[in-house]
Amino acid sequence: MKSISLFVERESFVHGIDPITKLYYILFAIIIPIILPSFTISAICLGTSIILLIFAKVMRKTLPVYSFVFFVLITVVIIQGLFKPGNETVLLQLGPVAMYKEGLQFALTIVFRVTNIVSAFMILVLTTKPSDLVEALVRKGMSPRIGYVIVSVFQIIPEMMTTMSTIMDAQRSRGMETEGKLLVRIKAFIPLLGPVVLGSLINTKERAMALEVRGFNSRNPKTYLNEEKTYPNSRFIQAVMLVLTVCAVAWRMFL
Amino acid sequence: MIKVSNLSFSYTGGGVPVLSDINLEFDQRTTAIIGQNGAGKTTFVKLLKGLLKATYGEILIGEYDVKMRTAAELARKIGLVFQNPNDQIFKRTVLDETMFGLLNIKMGRYTAEKLAVEALELVGLDDKLSMNPHDLSLSEKKLLCIASVVAMDTDIVIFDEPTIAQDHAGKEIIRRIIQKLKEKNKLVLTIIHDMDFVAENFDRTIVFNEGKVLLDGSTREVFSQKDVLEEANVEPPGITQLANRLGLKNTILTVDEFLHECAK
Ligand SMILES: Nc1ncnc2c1ncn2[C@@H]1O[C@H](COP(=O)(O)OP(=O)(O)O)[C@@H](O)[C@H]1O
Ligand SMILES: [Mg+2]
Repeated sequence: MKSISLFVERESFVHGIDPITKLYYILFAIIIPIILPSFTISAICLGTSIILLIFAKVMRKTLPVYSFVFFVLITVVIIQGLFKPGNETVLLQLGPVAMYKEGLQFALTIVFRVTNIVSAFMILVLTTKPSDLVEALVRKGMSPRIGYVIVSVFQIIPEMMTTMSTIMDAQRSRGMETEGKLLVRIKAFIPLLGPVVLGSLINTKERAMALEVRGFNSRNPKTYLNEEKTYPNSRFIQAVMLVLTVCAVAWRMFL
Repeated sequence: MIKVSNLSFSYTGGGVPVLSDINLEFDQRTTAIIGQNGAGKTTFVKLLKGLLKATYGEILIGEYDVKMRTAAELARKIGLVFQNPNDQIFKRTVLDETMFGLLNIKMGRYTAEKLAVEALELVGLDDKLSMNPHDLSLSEKKLLCIASVVAMDTDIVIFDEPTIAQDHAGKEIIRRIIQKLKEKNKLVLTIIHDMDFVAENFDRTIVFNEGKVLLDGSTREVFSQKDVLEEANVEPPGITQLANRLGLKNTILTVDEFLHECAK
Protein backbone atom coordinates (compact mmCIF):
# COMPACT_ATOMS: atom_id res chain seq x y z
CA MET A 1 0.00 0.00 0.00
CA LYS A 2 1.08 3.55 -0.65
CA SER A 3 2.07 5.53 2.38
CA ILE A 4 1.67 9.20 3.13
CA SER A 5 4.22 9.16 5.90
CA LEU A 6 7.57 10.64 4.96
CA PHE A 7 9.45 8.29 7.24
CA VAL A 8 12.62 6.86 5.69
CA GLU A 9 13.85 3.56 7.04
CA ARG A 10 17.62 3.83 7.61
CA GLU A 11 20.22 2.72 10.07
CA SER A 12 21.56 5.76 11.86
CA PHE A 13 22.00 7.09 15.35
CA VAL A 14 19.38 9.77 14.66
CA HIS A 15 16.84 7.02 13.95
CA GLY A 16 17.78 5.47 17.27
CA ILE A 17 16.91 8.54 19.31
CA ASP A 18 13.53 8.36 20.96
CA PRO A 19 10.63 10.37 19.48
CA ILE A 20 10.06 12.39 22.64
CA THR A 21 13.64 13.67 22.60
CA LYS A 22 13.13 14.70 18.98
CA LEU A 23 10.01 16.59 20.02
CA TYR A 24 12.06 18.39 22.67
CA TYR A 25 14.64 19.15 20.02
CA ILE A 26 12.01 20.94 17.92
CA LEU A 27 11.09 23.02 20.94
CA PHE A 28 14.78 23.68 21.61
CA ALA A 29 15.44 24.74 18.01
CA ILE A 30 12.52 27.15 18.17
CA ILE A 31 13.20 28.84 21.50
CA ILE A 32 16.98 29.22 21.42
CA PRO A 33 16.92 31.73 18.51
CA ILE A 34 14.11 33.55 20.31
CA ILE A 35 16.12 33.86 23.50
CA LEU A 36 19.27 34.80 21.64
CA PRO A 37 18.16 36.56 18.48
CA SER A 38 21.65 36.91 17.03
CA PHE A 39 22.39 35.84 13.52
CA THR A 40 25.23 33.52 14.53
CA ILE A 41 23.07 31.55 16.96
CA SER A 42 20.38 30.95 14.30
CA ALA A 43 23.07 29.80 11.91
CA ILE A 44 24.53 27.42 14.49
CA CYS A 45 21.09 25.91 15.22
CA LEU A 46 20.38 25.46 11.53
CA GLY A 47 23.82 23.97 11.02
CA THR A 48 23.24 21.45 13.82
CA SER A 49 19.94 20.33 12.31
CA ILE A 50 21.44 19.93 8.86
CA ILE A 51 24.36 17.92 10.24
CA LEU A 52 21.86 15.65 12.02
CA LEU A 53 19.88 15.23 8.79
CA ILE A 54 23.09 14.31 6.97
CA PHE A 55 23.98 11.76 9.64
CA ALA A 56 20.46 10.33 9.33
CA LYS A 57 21.13 9.84 5.59
CA VAL A 58 17.85 11.51 4.65
CA MET A 59 19.24 14.63 2.97
CA ARG A 60 17.80 13.65 -0.39
CA LYS A 61 14.27 13.51 1.01
CA THR A 62 14.64 16.99 2.45
CA LEU A 63 15.36 18.61 -0.90
CA PRO A 64 11.74 18.85 -2.12
CA VAL A 65 10.70 20.30 1.24
CA TYR A 66 13.54 22.80 1.24
CA SER A 67 12.82 23.82 -2.35
CA PHE A 68 9.21 24.48 -1.46
CA VAL A 69 10.18 26.48 1.61
CA PHE A 70 12.73 28.52 -0.34
CA PHE A 71 10.18 29.19 -3.04
CA VAL A 72 7.92 30.76 -0.43
CA LEU A 73 10.75 32.57 1.33
CA ILE A 74 12.16 34.14 -1.80
CA THR A 75 9.01 36.27 -2.03
CA VAL A 76 9.60 37.40 1.57
CA VAL A 77 13.16 38.38 0.70
CA ILE A 78 12.07 40.35 -2.36
CA ILE A 79 9.22 42.16 -0.64
CA GLN A 80 11.21 43.03 2.49
CA GLY A 81 14.25 44.02 0.46
CA LEU A 82 12.21 46.39 -1.67
CA PHE A 83 9.56 47.78 0.62
CA LYS A 84 10.39 47.35 4.31
CA PRO A 85 9.72 50.63 6.13
CA GLY A 86 13.04 51.93 7.39
CA ASN A 87 14.93 50.85 4.29
CA GLU A 88 17.78 53.34 3.88
CA THR A 89 21.00 51.88 2.56
CA VAL A 90 20.72 50.96 -1.09
CA LEU A 91 22.56 47.75 -1.82
CA LEU A 92 21.61 47.14 -5.41
CA GLN A 93 20.06 49.42 -7.98
CA LEU A 94 18.34 47.90 -10.99
CA GLY A 95 16.79 50.75 -12.98
CA PRO A 96 13.98 52.15 -10.88
CA VAL A 97 14.09 49.21 -8.43
CA ALA A 98 16.32 49.34 -5.37
CA MET A 99 17.22 46.57 -2.91
CA TYR A 100 17.88 47.84 0.61
CA LYS A 101 20.28 46.44 3.17
CA GLU A 102 17.99 46.75 6.19
CA GLY A 103 15.14 44.88 4.51
CA LEU A 104 17.46 42.13 3.28
CA GLN A 105 18.95 41.66 6.72
CA PHE A 106 15.53 41.40 8.27
CA ALA A 107 14.38 38.97 5.59
CA LEU A 108 17.47 36.87 6.10
CA THR A 109 16.69 36.45 9.81
CA ILE A 110 13.21 35.25 8.88
CA VAL A 111 14.67 32.85 6.33
CA PHE A 112 17.01 31.41 8.93
CA ARG A 113 14.28 31.04 11.54
CA VAL A 114 11.85 29.33 9.22
CA THR A 115 14.44 26.99 7.72
CA ASN A 116 15.60 26.21 11.21
CA ILE A 117 12.12 25.21 12.39
CA VAL A 118 11.43 23.25 9.21
CA SER A 119 14.71 21.36 9.58
CA ALA A 120 13.99 20.45 13.19
CA PHE A 121 10.56 19.15 12.18
CA MET A 122 12.09 17.15 9.37
CA ILE A 123 14.43 15.40 11.78
CA LEU A 124 11.34 14.15 13.59
CA VAL A 125 9.21 13.39 10.55
CA LEU A 126 11.83 11.75 8.35
CA THR A 127 13.44 9.57 10.98
CA THR A 128 10.47 8.51 13.13
CA LYS A 129 7.76 6.05 12.24
CA PRO A 130 4.41 7.78 12.95
CA SER A 131 3.22 4.80 14.96
CA ASP A 132 6.37 4.90 17.12
CA LEU A 133 5.79 8.56 17.84
CA VAL A 134 2.16 7.97 18.79
CA GLU A 135 3.07 5.01 20.94
CA ALA A 136 5.70 7.04 22.76
CA LEU A 137 3.17 9.82 23.36
CA VAL A 138 0.54 7.41 24.65
CA ARG A 139 3.11 5.94 27.03
CA LYS A 140 3.72 9.49 28.22
CA GLY A 141 0.03 9.76 29.06
CA MET A 142 -1.70 10.95 25.89
CA SER A 143 -5.18 9.48 25.50
CA PRO A 144 -5.12 6.32 23.35
CA ARG A 145 -8.18 7.70 21.54
CA ILE A 146 -6.27 10.69 20.27
CA GLY A 147 -3.38 8.40 19.46
CA TYR A 148 -5.72 6.25 17.44
CA VAL A 149 -7.08 9.24 15.54
CA ILE A 150 -3.55 10.29 14.57
CA VAL A 151 -2.53 6.80 13.49
CA SER A 152 -5.69 6.26 11.49
CA VAL A 153 -5.15 9.41 9.46
CA PHE A 154 -1.97 7.78 8.22
CA GLN A 155 -3.98 4.70 7.29
CA ILE A 156 -7.17 6.17 5.93
CA ILE A 157 -5.71 8.58 3.41
CA PRO A 158 -3.70 5.96 1.49
CA GLU A 159 -6.70 3.68 1.76
CA MET A 160 -8.92 6.31 0.18
CA MET A 161 -6.39 6.77 -2.58
CA THR A 162 -6.42 3.04 -3.27
CA THR A 163 -10.22 2.97 -3.28
CA MET A 164 -10.21 5.89 -5.65
CA SER A 165 -8.03 4.16 -8.20
CA THR A 166 -10.03 0.94 -7.81
CA ILE A 167 -13.28 2.72 -8.57
CA MET A 168 -11.68 4.55 -11.46
CA ASP A 169 -10.66 1.21 -12.92
CA ALA A 170 -14.24 -0.02 -12.53
CA GLN A 171 -15.52 3.07 -14.32
CA ARG A 172 -12.96 2.98 -17.11
CA SER A 173 -13.54 -0.65 -17.74
CA ARG A 174 -17.19 0.05 -18.38
CA GLY A 175 -16.66 2.88 -20.76
CA MET A 176 -16.34 6.01 -18.68
CA GLU A 177 -13.58 8.32 -19.89
CA THR A 178 -11.24 9.13 -17.00
CA GLU A 179 -8.04 9.93 -18.89
CA GLY A 180 -7.13 12.92 -21.01
CA LYS A 181 -8.25 16.52 -20.75
CA LEU A 182 -8.72 18.30 -17.43
CA LEU A 183 -12.46 18.65 -17.96
CA VAL A 184 -12.78 14.90 -18.57
CA ARG A 185 -10.82 14.21 -15.40
CA ILE A 186 -12.96 16.55 -13.34
CA LYS A 187 -16.13 15.00 -14.74
CA ALA A 188 -14.83 11.58 -13.78
CA PHE A 189 -13.72 12.76 -10.36
CA ILE A 190 -17.04 14.11 -9.07
CA PRO A 191 -19.04 10.87 -9.17
CA LEU A 192 -16.10 9.26 -7.35
CA LEU A 193 -16.58 11.30 -4.22
CA GLY A 194 -19.82 9.63 -3.17
CA PRO A 195 -18.56 6.04 -3.22
CA VAL A 196 -15.13 6.92 -1.81
CA VAL A 197 -16.47 8.89 1.14
CA LEU A 198 -19.27 6.41 1.74
CA GLY A 199 -16.82 3.53 1.49
CA SER A 200 -14.48 5.03 4.04
CA LEU A 201 -17.38 5.71 6.39
CA ILE A 202 -18.36 2.06 6.13
CA ASN A 203 -14.74 1.06 6.76
CA THR A 204 -14.59 3.36 9.76
CA LYS A 205 -17.70 1.79 11.21
CA GLU A 206 -16.25 -1.67 10.74
CA ARG A 207 -12.95 -0.67 12.27
CA ALA A 208 -14.77 0.85 15.23
CA MET A 209 -16.63 -2.40 15.76
CA ALA A 210 -13.42 -4.40 15.50
CA LEU A 211 -11.82 -2.13 18.11
CA GLU A 212 -14.85 -2.41 20.38
CA VAL A 213 -14.78 -6.20 20.18
CA ARG A 214 -11.17 -6.13 21.28
CA GLY A 215 -11.96 -3.96 24.27
CA PHE A 216 -10.67 -0.58 23.15
CA ASN A 217 -13.06 1.19 25.50
CA SER A 218 -12.27 -0.98 28.47
CA ARG A 219 -11.27 0.99 31.57
CA ASN A 220 -8.40 -1.27 32.50
CA PRO A 221 -4.91 0.05 31.85
CA LYS A 222 -3.85 -0.87 28.35
CA THR A 223 -0.89 -2.99 27.50
CA TYR A 224 1.26 -2.51 24.44
CA LEU A 225 1.93 -4.86 21.58
CA ASN A 226 5.55 -3.77 21.34
CA GLU A 227 7.95 -3.90 24.22
CA GLU A 228 8.97 -0.46 25.36
CA LYS A 229 12.14 0.46 23.55
CA THR A 230 14.91 1.76 25.73
CA TYR A 231 16.91 4.67 24.46
CA PRO A 232 20.09 4.93 26.50
CA ASN A 233 21.09 8.40 25.31
CA SER A 234 17.81 10.23 25.55
CA ARG A 235 18.18 11.38 29.18
CA PHE A 236 21.63 12.70 28.43
CA ILE A 237 20.56 14.53 25.26
CA GLN A 238 17.55 16.03 27.00
CA ALA A 239 19.76 17.16 29.90
CA VAL A 240 22.23 18.80 27.52
CA MET A 241 19.44 20.67 25.78
CA LEU A 242 18.06 21.83 29.12
CA VAL A 243 21.46 23.06 30.31
CA LEU A 244 22.05 24.89 27.01
CA THR A 245 18.65 26.56 27.31
CA VAL A 246 19.38 27.69 30.87
CA CYS A 247 22.77 29.01 29.75
CA ALA A 248 21.10 30.88 26.90
CA VAL A 249 18.66 32.52 29.31
CA ALA A 250 21.48 33.42 31.67
CA TRP A 251 23.53 34.87 28.81
CA ARG A 252 20.61 36.97 27.70
CA MET A 253 19.94 38.29 31.20
CA PHE A 254 23.44 38.96 32.48
CA LEU A 255 25.52 39.80 29.44
CA MET B 1 -9.49 -11.63 -32.05
CA ILE B 2 -6.65 -10.90 -29.66
CA LYS B 3 -2.96 -11.06 -30.49
CA VAL B 4 -0.37 -10.67 -27.77
CA SER B 5 3.30 -10.43 -28.72
CA ASN B 6 6.39 -10.30 -26.50
CA LEU B 7 4.35 -8.95 -23.62
CA SER B 8 6.24 -8.16 -20.40
CA PHE B 9 5.03 -6.28 -17.38
CA SER B 10 6.17 -5.30 -13.90
CA TYR B 11 4.34 -3.20 -11.31
CA THR B 12 7.46 -1.50 -10.05
CA GLY B 13 9.53 0.04 -12.80
CA GLY B 14 12.56 -2.20 -13.22
CA GLY B 15 11.42 -4.60 -10.50
CA VAL B 16 10.78 -8.31 -10.84
CA PRO B 17 8.62 -8.87 -13.92
CA VAL B 18 5.14 -10.21 -13.10
CA LEU B 19 4.75 -11.32 -16.71
CA SER B 20 7.63 -12.00 -19.08
CA ASP B 21 7.61 -12.49 -22.80
CA ILE B 22 4.05 -13.72 -23.36
CA ASN B 23 3.04 -14.62 -26.91
CA LEU B 24 -0.56 -15.72 -27.41
CA GLU B 25 -3.35 -15.54 -29.92
CA PHE B 26 -7.01 -15.93 -29.09
CA ASP B 27 -9.76 -17.05 -31.42
CA GLN B 28 -13.43 -17.83 -30.75
CA ARG B 29 -12.68 -20.93 -28.66
CA THR B 30 -13.73 -20.57 -25.04
CA THR B 31 -10.47 -20.38 -23.14
CA ALA B 32 -9.62 -21.09 -19.51
CA ILE B 33 -6.56 -19.56 -17.89
CA ILE B 34 -5.35 -21.57 -14.93
CA GLY B 35 -2.36 -21.49 -12.60
CA GLN B 36 -1.34 -20.87 -9.02
CA ASN B 37 -2.23 -17.72 -7.12
CA GLY B 38 0.24 -15.00 -7.98
CA ALA B 39 1.04 -16.50 -11.39
CA GLY B 40 0.03 -13.23 -13.07
CA LYS B 41 -3.38 -14.17 -14.50
CA THR B 42 -5.26 -11.14 -13.21
CA THR B 43 -2.43 -8.86 -14.29
CA PHE B 44 -2.59 -10.38 -17.77
CA VAL B 45 -6.31 -9.71 -18.26
CA LYS B 46 -5.99 -6.18 -16.87
CA LEU B 47 -3.38 -5.58 -19.55
CA LEU B 48 -5.75 -6.90 -22.22
CA LYS B 49 -8.40 -4.56 -20.91
CA GLY B 50 -6.06 -1.55 -21.05
CA LEU B 51 -6.24 -0.94 -17.29
CA LEU B 52 -2.50 -1.50 -17.05
CA LYS B 53 0.04 -0.50 -19.66
CA ALA B 54 2.55 -3.05 -20.92
CA THR B 55 6.22 -2.48 -20.10
CA TYR B 56 7.25 -4.22 -23.34
CA GLY B 57 5.38 -5.83 -26.18
CA GLU B 58 2.15 -5.29 -28.00
CA ILE B 59 -1.50 -6.26 -27.63
CA LEU B 60 -3.92 -6.10 -30.55
CA ILE B 61 -7.66 -6.39 -29.89
CA GLY B 62 -9.22 -6.86 -33.31
CA GLU B 63 -7.71 -3.97 -35.24
CA TYR B 64 -7.07 -1.85 -32.12
CA ASP B 65 -3.63 -1.47 -30.60
CA VAL B 66 -4.39 -1.40 -26.88
CA LYS B 67 -1.56 1.05 -26.24
CA MET B 68 -3.18 3.67 -28.47
CA ARG B 69 -6.62 3.51 -26.84
CA THR B 70 -8.00 4.49 -23.46
CA ALA B 71 -9.61 1.77 -21.38
CA ALA B 72 -12.92 3.57 -21.88
CA GLU B 73 -12.69 3.25 -25.67
CA LEU B 74 -11.90 -0.44 -25.36
CA ALA B 75 -15.00 -0.96 -23.21
CA ARG B 76 -17.19 -1.43 -26.29
CA LYS B 77 -14.99 -4.29 -27.46
CA ILE B 78 -13.95 -6.11 -24.35
CA GLY B 79 -15.65 -6.65 -21.00
CA LEU B 80 -13.98 -7.74 -17.78
CA VAL B 81 -15.71 -9.09 -14.69
CA PHE B 82 -13.38 -8.30 -11.79
CA GLN B 83 -12.15 -10.97 -9.41
CA ASN B 84 -13.37 -9.07 -6.38
CA PRO B 85 -16.90 -7.69 -6.82
CA ASN B 86 -16.15 -4.90 -4.36
CA ASP B 87 -13.62 -3.59 -6.86
CA GLN B 88 -16.33 -3.22 -9.45
CA ILE B 89 -19.51 -2.17 -7.70
CA PHE B 90 -19.94 1.50 -6.87
CA LYS B 91 -23.53 2.47 -7.66
CA ARG B 92 -26.34 2.59 -5.12
CA THR B 93 -28.82 0.19 -6.71
CA VAL B 94 -28.56 -3.07 -8.58
CA LEU B 95 -30.27 -1.58 -11.63
CA ASP B 96 -28.03 1.53 -11.73
CA GLU B 97 -24.96 -0.63 -11.44
CA THR B 98 -26.03 -2.73 -14.40
CA MET B 99 -27.04 0.29 -16.50
CA PHE B 100 -23.80 2.19 -15.83
CA GLY B 101 -21.81 0.68 -18.69
CA LEU B 102 -24.70 0.82 -21.13
CA LEU B 103 -25.25 4.52 -20.54
CA ASN B 104 -21.53 5.15 -20.99
CA ILE B 105 -21.56 3.64 -24.45
CA LYS B 106 -24.23 6.18 -25.37
CA MET B 107 -27.23 3.93 -25.21
CA GLY B 108 -30.59 5.57 -24.63
CA ARG B 109 -32.05 5.28 -21.12
CA TYR B 110 -34.97 3.17 -22.24
CA THR B 111 -32.89 0.61 -24.17
CA ALA B 112 -30.28 0.57 -21.43
CA GLU B 113 -32.86 -0.27 -18.81
CA LYS B 114 -34.35 -2.99 -20.98
CA LEU B 115 -30.96 -4.62 -21.63
CA ALA B 116 -29.97 -4.29 -17.99
CA VAL B 117 -33.12 -6.01 -16.79
CA GLU B 118 -32.61 -8.78 -19.33
CA ALA B 119 -29.07 -9.36 -18.09
CA LEU B 120 -30.28 -9.38 -14.48
CA GLU B 121 -32.95 -11.93 -15.39
CA LEU B 122 -30.19 -14.10 -16.80
CA VAL B 123 -28.45 -14.21 -13.42
CA GLY B 124 -31.66 -14.33 -11.40
CA LEU B 125 -31.38 -10.91 -9.77
CA ASP B 126 -34.33 -9.27 -11.52
CA ASP B 127 -36.33 -9.27 -8.29
CA LYS B 128 -33.70 -7.11 -6.54
CA LEU B 129 -33.48 -4.14 -8.91
CA SER B 130 -33.70 -1.42 -6.30
CA MET B 131 -31.59 -3.09 -3.63
CA ASN B 132 -28.23 -1.63 -2.60
CA PRO B 133 -25.57 -3.91 -4.11
CA HIS B 134 -23.62 -3.88 -0.86
CA ASP B 135 -26.52 -5.64 0.86
CA LEU B 136 -26.27 -8.60 -1.51
CA SER B 137 -24.41 -11.77 -0.58
CA LEU B 138 -20.96 -12.33 -2.06
CA SER B 139 -22.23 -14.79 -4.65
CA GLU B 140 -25.02 -12.42 -5.66
CA LYS B 141 -22.53 -9.57 -5.94
CA LYS B 142 -20.45 -11.66 -8.31
CA LEU B 143 -23.53 -12.44 -10.39
CA LEU B 144 -24.41 -8.74 -10.47
CA CYS B 145 -20.93 -7.95 -11.77
CA ILE B 146 -21.35 -10.58 -14.45
CA ALA B 147 -24.72 -9.15 -15.45
CA SER B 148 -23.40 -5.61 -15.70
CA VAL B 149 -20.62 -6.69 -18.03
CA VAL B 150 -22.61 -9.16 -20.11
CA ALA B 151 -25.30 -6.51 -20.65
CA MET B 152 -22.79 -4.45 -22.64
CA ASP B 153 -22.73 -7.15 -25.33
CA THR B 154 -18.99 -6.94 -26.08
CA ASP B 155 -17.26 -9.29 -28.53
CA ILE B 156 -14.86 -10.40 -25.85
CA VAL B 157 -15.90 -11.23 -22.28
CA ILE B 158 -13.34 -11.99 -19.59
CA PHE B 159 -14.26 -13.52 -16.23
CA ASP B 160 -11.80 -13.42 -13.34
CA GLU B 161 -12.55 -16.37 -11.06
CA PRO B 162 -16.35 -16.32 -11.52
CA THR B 163 -17.11 -19.56 -9.69
CA ILE B 164 -15.59 -18.49 -6.38
CA ALA B 165 -18.25 -18.35 -3.65
CA GLN B 166 -20.84 -19.93 -5.95
CA ASP B 167 -22.95 -22.90 -4.93
CA HIS B 168 -24.11 -25.44 -7.48
CA ALA B 169 -26.99 -23.25 -8.67
CA GLY B 170 -24.66 -20.28 -9.10
CA LYS B 171 -22.23 -22.35 -11.14
CA GLU B 172 -25.09 -23.54 -13.34
CA ILE B 173 -26.00 -19.91 -14.05
CA ILE B 174 -22.42 -19.16 -15.03
CA ARG B 175 -22.25 -22.26 -17.19
CA ARG B 176 -25.44 -21.16 -18.99
CA ILE B 177 -24.07 -17.68 -19.56
CA ILE B 178 -20.83 -19.01 -20.99
CA GLN B 179 -22.76 -21.33 -23.34
CA LYS B 180 -24.95 -18.45 -24.44
CA LEU B 181 -21.99 -16.20 -25.18
CA LYS B 182 -20.37 -19.04 -27.10
CA GLU B 183 -23.49 -19.45 -29.25
CA LYS B 184 -23.27 -15.76 -30.07
CA ASN B 185 -19.68 -16.31 -31.27
CA LYS B 186 -18.13 -14.25 -28.55
CA LEU B 187 -14.71 -14.97 -27.14
CA VAL B 188 -15.01 -16.07 -23.53
CA LEU B 189 -11.80 -15.95 -21.50
CA THR B 190 -11.96 -17.18 -17.93
CA ILE B 191 -9.48 -17.27 -15.10
CA ILE B 192 -10.54 -20.14 -12.91
CA HIS B 193 -9.42 -22.58 -10.23
CA ASP B 194 -12.29 -25.08 -10.53
CA MET B 195 -10.75 -27.77 -12.74
CA ASP B 196 -13.97 -29.80 -13.08
CA PHE B 197 -15.64 -26.69 -14.44
CA VAL B 198 -12.74 -26.14 -16.85
CA ALA B 199 -12.90 -29.69 -18.15
CA GLU B 200 -16.62 -29.51 -18.76
CA ASN B 201 -16.87 -26.04 -20.32
CA PHE B 202 -13.73 -24.87 -22.06
CA ASP B 203 -12.28 -25.81 -25.43
CA ARG B 204 -8.84 -24.43 -24.78
CA THR B 205 -6.75 -24.15 -21.62
CA ILE B 206 -3.67 -22.05 -20.91
CA VAL B 207 -1.51 -22.66 -17.86
CA PHE B 208 0.34 -19.70 -16.36
CA ASN B 209 3.26 -20.25 -14.06
CA GLU B 210 5.43 -17.53 -12.56
CA GLY B 211 4.53 -15.04 -15.26
CA LYS B 212 5.08 -17.37 -18.20
CA VAL B 213 2.85 -19.57 -20.33
CA LEU B 214 3.69 -23.12 -19.31
CA LEU B 215 1.10 -24.99 -21.39
CA ASP B 216 -1.32 -24.00 -24.11
CA GLY B 217 -3.61 -26.29 -26.06
CA SER B 218 -6.97 -27.99 -26.16
CA THR B 219 -8.22 -28.72 -22.67
CA ARG B 220 -7.78 -32.46 -23.22
CA GLU B 221 -4.17 -32.06 -24.36
CA VAL B 222 -3.35 -29.87 -21.40
CA PHE B 223 -4.86 -32.17 -18.79
CA SER B 224 -3.04 -35.15 -20.29
CA GLN B 225 0.32 -33.62 -19.32
CA LYS B 226 0.33 -34.65 -15.71
CA ASP B 227 3.99 -33.94 -15.02
CA VAL B 228 4.03 -30.44 -16.45
CA LEU B 229 0.83 -29.61 -14.54
CA GLU B 230 2.47 -30.73 -11.35
CA GLU B 231 5.26 -28.25 -11.97
CA ALA B 232 2.66 -25.46 -11.99
CA ASN B 233 0.96 -26.95 -8.92
CA VAL B 234 -2.23 -27.63 -10.86
CA GLU B 235 -4.28 -30.75 -10.18
CA PRO B 236 -6.26 -32.25 -13.08
CA PRO B 237 -10.02 -32.76 -12.52
CA GLY B 238 -10.99 -35.57 -10.15
CA ILE B 239 -12.48 -37.73 -12.86
CA THR B 240 -9.36 -37.34 -15.03
CA GLN B 241 -7.18 -38.50 -12.15
CA LEU B 242 -9.47 -41.43 -11.42
CA ALA B 243 -9.39 -42.61 -15.03
CA ASN B 244 -5.64 -42.22 -15.09
CA ARG B 245 -5.20 -44.29 -11.92
CA LEU B 246 -7.50 -46.96 -13.30
CA GLY B 247 -5.12 -47.18 -16.23
CA LEU B 248 -7.43 -45.84 -18.95
CA LYS B 249 -5.34 -44.70 -21.90
CA ASN B 250 -7.38 -41.74 -23.10
CA THR B 251 -7.55 -38.54 -21.10
CA ILE B 252 -11.05 -38.34 -19.63
CA LEU B 253 -12.62 -34.95 -18.96
CA THR B 254 -16.20 -35.60 -17.84
CA VAL B 255 -18.20 -38.19 -15.94
CA ASP B 256 -20.13 -39.05 -19.11
CA GLU B 257 -16.92 -39.74 -21.00
CA PHE B 258 -15.75 -41.89 -18.13
CA LEU B 259 -18.90 -44.02 -18.17
CA HIS B 260 -18.73 -44.28 -21.92
CA GLU B 261 -15.11 -45.46 -21.80
CA CYS B 262 -15.86 -47.99 -19.05
CA ALA B 263 -18.79 -49.42 -20.95
CA LYS B 264 -16.49 -50.39 -23.84
N1 LIG C 1 -1.26 -3.61 -7.64
C1 LIG C 1 -0.17 -4.37 -7.48
N2 LIG C 1 1.02 -3.82 -7.13
C2 LIG C 1 2.13 -4.56 -6.98
N3 LIG C 1 2.17 -5.90 -7.16
C3 LIG C 1 1.04 -6.52 -7.51
C4 LIG C 1 -0.20 -5.79 -7.69
N4 LIG C 1 -1.17 -6.68 -8.03
C5 LIG C 1 -0.57 -7.89 -8.07
N5 LIG C 1 0.73 -7.81 -7.76
C6 LIG C 1 1.70 -8.94 -7.74
O1 LIG C 1 1.78 -9.48 -9.03
C7 LIG C 1 1.83 -10.89 -8.99
C8 LIG C 1 0.72 -11.48 -9.85
O2 LIG C 1 -0.52 -11.16 -9.30
P1 LIG C 1 -1.91 -11.53 -9.98
O3 LIG C 1 -1.85 -11.11 -11.41
O4 LIG C 1 -2.99 -10.96 -9.16
O5 LIG C 1 -1.89 -13.11 -9.88
P2 LIG C 1 -3.09 -14.17 -10.05
O6 LIG C 1 -4.31 -13.45 -10.53
O7 LIG C 1 -2.56 -15.17 -11.01
O8 LIG C 1 -3.30 -14.77 -8.70
C9 LIG C 1 1.73 -11.28 -7.52
O9 LIG C 1 3.03 -11.57 -7.07
C10 LIG C 1 1.20 -10.05 -6.85
O10 LIG C 1 1.72 -9.93 -5.55
MG1 LIG D 1 -6.18 -13.21 -9.68
